Amino acid sequence: MTYQVTVEPTGDLVEVEEGQTILDACLRQGVWLPFACGHGTCGTCKVQVLEGDADVGDASPFALMDMERDEGKLLACCARPECDLVIEADIDVDPDFLGYPIEDFQATVASIEDLSPTIKGIRFELDHPIQFQAGQYINLHLPGVDGARAFSIANKPSENGIVELHVRRVPEGAGTGYIHEQLREGDTLPMSGPYGQFFVRKSAPEDLIFIAGGSGLSSPQSMVLDLLEQGDVRKITLLQGARNLSELYNRELFEQLAEEHQNFSYVPALDAPLEEDHWQGFSGYVHEAAISHFGGQFAGHKAYLCGPPPMIDAAITALMQGRLFERDIYMERFLTAADGAEGTVKSALFKKI
Amino acid sequence: MSTRKLSLKDKYRILTRDLEWEYSYRDYREIFKQEAFEGIKITDWSKWEDPFRLTMDAYWKYQAEKEKKLYAIFDAFAQNNGQQNVTDARYVNAIKLFLTGVSPLEYQAYNGFAHVGRQFGGVGARVACQMQSLDELRHVQTQIHAMSHYNKFFDGFQDFTHMHDRVWYLSVPKSFFDDARSAGPFEFMVAIGFSFEYVLTNLLFVPFMSGAAYNGDMATVTFGFSAQSDEARHMTLGLEIIKFLLEQHPDNVPVVQRWINKWLWRGTRVLTLVAMMMDYMLPNKVMSWKESFEVYFEEAASALFKDLARYGIEMPRYAETAILEKEHVSHQAWSIFYNYTHAAAFHTWMPDDKEMDWLSEKYPDTFDKYYRARFEHWRELERAGERYYNPTLPMLCQTCQIPMGFTEMDNPTLTAYRQSVYQGERYNFCSDGCKDIFDHEPEKYVQAWLPVHQIFQGNCGGPDIEDVLGDYYRINLGVDNMDFHGSPDEARWNAWHNLQPAEDKLKQAS
Ligand SMILES: Cc1cc2nc3c(=O)[nH]c(=O)nc-3n(C[C@H](O)[C@H](O)[C@H](O)COP(=O)(O)OP(=O)(O)OC[C@H]3O[C@@H](n4cnc5c(N)ncnc54)[C@H](O)[C@@H]3O)c2cc1C
Ligand code: FES
Ligand SMILES: [Fe+2]
Ligand SMILES: [Fe+2]
Ligand SMILES: [Zn+2]
Repeated sequence: MTYQVTVEPTGDLVEVEEGQTILDACLRQGVWLPFACGHGTCGTCKVQVLEGDADVGDASPFALMDMERDEGKLLACCARPECDLVIEADIDVDPDFLGYPIEDFQATVASIEDLSPTIKGIRFELDHPIQFQAGQYINLHLPGVDGARAFSIANKPSENGIVELHVRRVPEGAGTGYIHEQLREGDTLPMSGPYGQFFVRKSAPEDLIFIAGGSGLSSPQSMVLDLLEQGDVRKITLLQGARNLSELYNRELFEQLAEEHQNFSYVPALDAPLEEDHWQGFSGYVHEAAISHFGGQFAGHKAYLCGPPPMIDAAITALMQGRLFERDIYMERFLTAADGAEGTVKSALFKKI
Repeated sequence: MSTRKLSLKDKYRILTRDLEWEYSYRDYREIFKQEAFEGIKITDWSKWEDPFRLTMDAYWKYQAEKEKKLYAIFDAFAQNNGQQNVTDARYVNAIKLFLTGVSPLEYQAYNGFAHVGRQFGGVGARVACQMQSLDELRHVQTQIHAMSHYNKFFDGFQDFTHMHDRVWYLSVPKSFFDDARSAGPFEFMVAIGFSFEYVLTNLLFVPFMSGAAYNGDMATVTFGFSAQSDEARHMTLGLEIIKFLLEQHPDNVPVVQRWINKWLWRGTRVLTLVAMMMDYMLPNKVMSWKESFEVYFEEAASALFKDLARYGIEMPRYAETAILEKEHVSHQAWSIFYNYTHAAAFHTWMPDDKEMDWLSEKYPDTFDKYYRARFEHWRELERAGERYYNPTLPMLCQTCQIPMGFTEMDNPTLTAYRQSVYQGERYNFCSDGCKDIFDHEPEKYVQAWLPVHQIFQGNCGGPDIEDVLGDYYRINLGVDNMDFHGSPDEARWNAWHNLQPAEDKLKQAS
């Protein structure tokens, strides 16, 4: 039994399986709805039912108040339709979001490469082509590892038969440990995607800054390759941060691109170069390299940040002090299970930061 | 796909921002006269992000529904003689304080937001302020309706608007809002929209609402919930104004910082009234003032100011003092009110043994050390039939207008006392915060209408205290004022519940 859900204001149609949540069905069919916790506690995914009935599921009474239930509000992440529905969601249709449907793939390992002592580059061949926007990520299922692991796609969207990942080994990490030690060429894994709202706002006229830390080069690599392939003429600057020279990977690729495209600049930064590195480039953190490269003035740009949470955090502060604010900053935080554990109180000042 | 309907965003835009027109025959600066004089620089109003998307049509529908529910509960409360089911008649004094001290602020907020809702060049900001203005009018109305039921059975409710304008302790919240409303529009928004509605609102409303819930007052709980359902919008407006100002121009940062310093200090001073209400006026306690300050101010503000630091905003200047004072202010304020209960429109009393022990437990570092002995002494006097009332008039702080009863935090037995001289006149302050606020704008604060000064100058009904309290304040002497023990409120309550008067109990105990 499936139910049909119409999502206003776009009028998109979604087929929801018996027992499936509205949010899950929407995301899998390329209809993006705002969501955060995914399990009924934050209220981010609240929608209004215009026609029909649904089971509200496990919505917390704080995230969905009685009064709102009376008014026919639902949390899409835990509500299940009981008949065909029409719902209204608070969606800002981002003109640059293409909303490719989420699909399941069988991904076969074509090659494994040591990009750095801690990062492996994995190339998967897919059983059927994937449509994605540069910057988005996939979920990978690994044998013997509970739950999926998120990795950003490093290849450009035009190469739609493959998925290239840059995977940093997390100390004591189950999934990245498996990838680094047990994964072999020829292995086939279930993969789903594309996910995420990290993509280039191509309709925005501003010049672009990419700040990447560690394996956070993955998304920016895809985004930069895509922009250059499409002949984008805006100024594009990629800043790549690594600890030392051996951790700085794909440098030749970007130096080459910088030579070929005069609108593209590449700034590598090492925060702990070794003596034998004979490092001539910028020494310091990647956000410091950005301050130095742009003279501390970032207004008039769009910035895309990708990598470990502390790097993102430092970069946001640097950008804001250089007067670039939330509306012009996009980011993908490489969260791990360890990051959620702090549970710190968050103010409501920022939406995505 | 079916035909496209408008998204909430577009609908909101069309029903709000699209109502704007081009100013073709008048100069912009003439239309929005108040936009520039505070030193705030606005470069681009289009960067204003609507903090909520509630259109007027939806607003009426939603609010009408809330009213329907609310008034159904008020009716049920009245029919069931809800006034008899509160924990005890002492509790009602907490809501007397609310009606005389806080509800008129809702009205002031309505005025203030209506005013600034005219002053901003950005239509998004104007509409958001006008909406909040309507909310605040609804808040004051529902509060008056809720309390009107108590007015039939208890003393001290009858002349709340009159009293708000005149009575000494009510000049504390009144002058706070007067100060904000007589400031420029951006300062008003930082003062009320941000500092009060975002940073301090939980410290004001949660104590009263959970106090009501713990003490069987369903009417107050319900108007509280109903008002709180609007507050999410007020809070997001407060946040948007701060972000907007800080992002518009770097020169705005120091101005906003000074306003935040000022208004969070002014706000915590007003909240002294809430502090004593929580610790002393609720027969069933929710949590101590200190605990709620830790949760709703210290934790929440540290997260907020960590985020604001990205804009170059620092922790408010007097936050450290305010944090130290959480151990003291409720006891000090209750002492002041106990001293001057003959001049107040509600009753006070000394805590009983169980309540004293609760205070010792909640304030292990201060209550026994600094306050218990004084309170036990006053209780002894009362038992001996010599209930202490302070016959003098207190000196007031020129800025916050609270009697000078706060102490130094490094020596809690020494009254804090600051002075400034301006044009040959000496002015007195309760704290560094209040003095600095004065020193920055002395020409504003020398105009303060200080109740005690006004009495001495003969502007308050006459030379005798009875003239002031009775005719000028309209306190029913011997009825609204004085200790709870022996009051008509107490007698009525005891009659309803066949209880023994407290006086007799006291006599038996001694
Ligand atoms: C959208 C997105 C995109 C990403 N893209 C990339 C990418 O392109 N490249 C990349 O290298 N990484 C990427 N990441 C990060 C990557 O997903 C994580 O590193 C990965 O999930 C870690 O999995 P794991 O099984 O190795 O570690 P886990 O076993 O999940 O553990 C991670 C760490 O947390 C600790 N831990 C586990 N459970 C708990 C707990 N309950 N409390 C406290 N600590 C705990 C572990 O000891 C370990 O140190 C991305 C993350 C996100 C969210
Ligand atoms: S995503 Fe948090 S409640 Fe649905
Ligand atoms: Fe209000
Ligand atoms: Fe409010
Ligand atoms: Zn003061």
